[in-house]
Amino acid sequence: MSDRKNILIVLFLVFIIFPIFPLFINVAKGVLSDEAQMCLGCHSNKDMTKQLDNKETLSLYVNGDDFGNSVHNPIGCAGCHSDISMENHPQVKKIKSKKDYIKNASNVCKNCHPDQVLKKKPMHGSLIAQAKSPSCVECHDSHSIKTIAGWKAGISENRYCLICHKHDLSMTLSNGELLPLSVNEADYKSSVHSNLSCGVCHRDFSKSEHPTRGAKSRKDYTADASKACTMCHPDDQLRKKPIHGSLINKTACVECHGSHSIRKISEQKIGLKENQYCLTCHKNKISMTMKNGEFLSLFVDRSLIQISVHKTLQCTDCHTGFSKNVHPVRVFKSGREYSILTSDICRRCHADASTRYEGSIHLSEIRSGNLRAAACTDCHGFHLVIKTDKNLGLISCNKCHGEMNASYEASIHNRARIKGDQNAPVCSSCHNAHDVQATKMAAKIKDACLACHKNAENSHEKWLYNPPIRLRTFTELHFNTVACAACHAPDAGRGIYLILYDRKTGKPLPEEELLKLLETDPTGLKSKIDINKDGIIDSTEVWTLFKYLYTKGVTTSFRGKMDVSKPTEAHQIADKTKAVKDCGVCHNPDSPFFKDVFIVIRKADGRPTVFNAKQEVLGKDLKSVYTILPLSKFYVLGSTNQKLFDILFIIAFIGGIAVPIGHISLRIITSPLRSLRRMGKGGKK
Amino acid sequence: MKKIYLHPLAIRIWHWLNAVAFIILIVTGAQIRFGNVIHLFSFETAVEIHSWTGFILIANYFIWFFYYLLTGNIKIYIPPLHHPIEFVKKSIRQAKFYGFGIMVGDHNPHHPTPDHKFNPMQQVSYLMIMTALIPLQLITGLLLWDPKLFSRVVNLVGGIQVIDVIHVLLWIFFSAFIIVHFYLATLGHTTFAHIIAMFTGYEEEEEEEEGHGAHSH
Repeated sequence: MSDRKNILIVLFLVFIIFPIFPLFINVAKGVLSDEAQMCLGCHSNKDMTKQLDNKETLSLYVNGDDFGNSVHNPIGCAGCHSDISMENHPQVKKIKSKKDYIKNASNVCKNCHPDQVLKKKPMHGSLIAQAKSPSCVECHDSHSIKTIAGWKAGISENRYCLICHKHDLSMTLSNGELLPLSVNEADYKSSVHSNLSCGVCHRDFSKSEHPTRGAKSRKDYTADASKACTMCHPDDQLRKKPIHGSLINKTACVECHGSHSIRKISEQKIGLKENQYCLTCHKNKISMTMKNGEFLSLFVDRSLIQISVHKTLQCTDCHTGFSKNVHPVRVFKSGREYSILTSDICRRCHADASTRYEGSIHLSEIRSGNLRAAACTDCHGFHLVIKTDKNLGLISCNKCHGEMNASYEASIHNRARIKGDQNAPVCSSCHNAHDVQATKMAAKIKDACLACHKNAENSHEKWLYNPPIRLRTFTELHFNTVACAACHAPDAGRGIYLILYDRKTGKPLPEEELLKLLETDPTGLKSKIDINKDGIIDSTEVWTLFKYLYTKGVTTSFRGKMDVSKPTEAHQIADKTKAVKDCGVCHNPDSPFFKDVFIVIRKADGRPTVFNAKQEVLGKDLKSVYTILPLSKFYVLGSTNQKLFDILFIIAFIGGIAVPIGHISLRIITSPLRSLRRMGKGGKK
Repeated sequence: MKKIYLHPLAIRIWHWLNAVAFIILIVTGAQIRFGNVIHLFSFETAVEIHSWTGFILIANYFIWFFYYLLTGNIKIYIPPLHHPIEFVKKSIRQAKFYGFGIMVGDHNPHHPTPDHKFNPMQQVSYLMIMTALIPLQLITGLLLWDPKLFSRVVNLVGGIQVIDVIHVLLWIFFSAFIIVHFYLATLGHTTFAHIIAMFTGYEEEEEEEEGHGAHSH
């Protein structure tokens, strides 16, 4: 009985189960269900499409073999397309766009693969959180979805990576920056690294490993990613190339060479215009180190170049010595030195302006070692060179001379400018644009005033004359010795500037020559004049200097000029009705304008070295007689009186009165004698 | 009393113009210099008066200059240098008179005549004043009036400060001089004798006695 039973079981297995098993296997391996076959009756047609609302054409073709081999074959078409049944299909379904369709279609996946499950998988979790993350079907496809193991086994590593990374993926870094994770497949295929698989550079990644990494910033990420380059391009090899050598450890490889689209340098040069080639590296925030340790940014902002007046120029028009083939390595003491030296290049096109700049106080200062003085790029910019107009100085000059701005803004000049007066002066109107002059006591400033106020001498001559004859020379005398601002900036403090002149040449004795005569250098000049080292020059010190120079064969004299004592106040030019017009304000022994006195030594280029002097040098003290000869060419009526002569006048006046009084007194005392004598001769009358 | 016509009309006009101008210039000069303590005029007014008066004084100087040059009477200013010892003796005698003789009732040793108008002391001082000090004061004043117009001369002299020193020192001298001069003018045989003579031209002289010297020039 039991044998019969066993025989029946074996027969059942042989004739019933075995024939069904291949059928079962076939279903799993690609045998389509009736339902699927029915659908494919139409959807196997490659020409089957649907016009979407945005005019896109959506292919409705399904490869039956692919679907049959997919992991979703068992659930059939209706497993995902649950909204479609033979009763209602085809139906008119409005679809906005492919993207919209894909997104909606991917939502169906969640029926079987809910977010809660996916979030537990690192990659999926981070993608779900992103609003712009690709839909399921964008990575996994729609009708040909395989098991992960099967999927990986069937494709190359690069193909596998690109399945996701061809999409617009990104990662949010710790500092909030977005790091793009997308790879342009075409670029990569044309790159010099196209024969490498992704994992060669992205060493921790493979088809089976995809660690979750973070980075503080893109800079950190690129620096870290660039370390992979050194596997094939070791530092030692790179150091042999000058530019690479200087950039190692400062700039990530990918910043210049890119990441997935790296091409041979020779190919890159051919394909790029010069500016583009330069920007290959300089579009990145690269920098170089100066000798003093400063970092000089070598980053060029393309957007600035595009609005620069130099946008049509080639980089090498200014950066001479550089080309696509030549890139010298230069070393500068400081970023400032670099700016100054490179400003010299402007001369190539702007020769006239450069020539005028040669005579400026700015270049003089630079030559004297003051590297803070302005070079071309300080006013005009370098990559963003804007169209120059007269108002440029209001920005560029104020970078260094900002303290002057308040007084200028309060001036009648600025008020006129704001009202729209095109002739209203700005910085360059008086100080010049390129041949900027030393302003203190500068005759050229007066010329600048007269350039606009052409009738100034005539209008001054109407009241500034010495009767009985109206002479221009009298007006000129004041114009030559009194700065315009001294009268026209009524709120300014004034001072007397005594400039050392060489009588033989009739010009200021250059500081350079004075230093030789005094056998000192600029740092020792003050102590040579201010002998008692009290910080202020007195009459005897003026005399000592004068006498010393005379013994050296140089006859000097100090010529005085009145100017505002603070340059900040010189700009506050007021309405002319407020100008000083009362002669007695200056021509008075107590005039406040003569309280601040300065000794001025001019350099050969006109720049002044100014020392404080005591008011006594102008004659306020008995010691002031020492300055009569040194100041023989400076005298202001009523203001620079020698005290000695005032005393002499009082003595003489009193003496003049005393003589008659004394004589009369003696005559009165001796009158009895005369009476006696008259009586002796002629008796009492 | 006999009357001597000592002061011709031209000289009288010159003298009084000179006197008034000197006083005005001294006062306005003081105002210009001491603007902080003297407030008679504003600086502008003081300068205006000073400048106008200065030019009047220059013109006036030429009245004197041309009068004496054309009449040949300039010789009255020239000390007799061919008799130096006698001139010195006379000078000492004149000084002794003012310093001592006048106290004890001595008569003035000098008797003015149109040809010998000045006593030896006057002769020396007026010669200096008229040919050196006043011209120097006028020239320096002119240079200070417009230093730029005369810049070549100013620079040749050494500078405006030098010009001013000369002008101021002479101003000091003239300020004292004019006081003394006025006092000496009162030392005629009467207090106003010389002053009146400078108006009328006639100097009175006592006939029986030696007369007083004139104190004008």
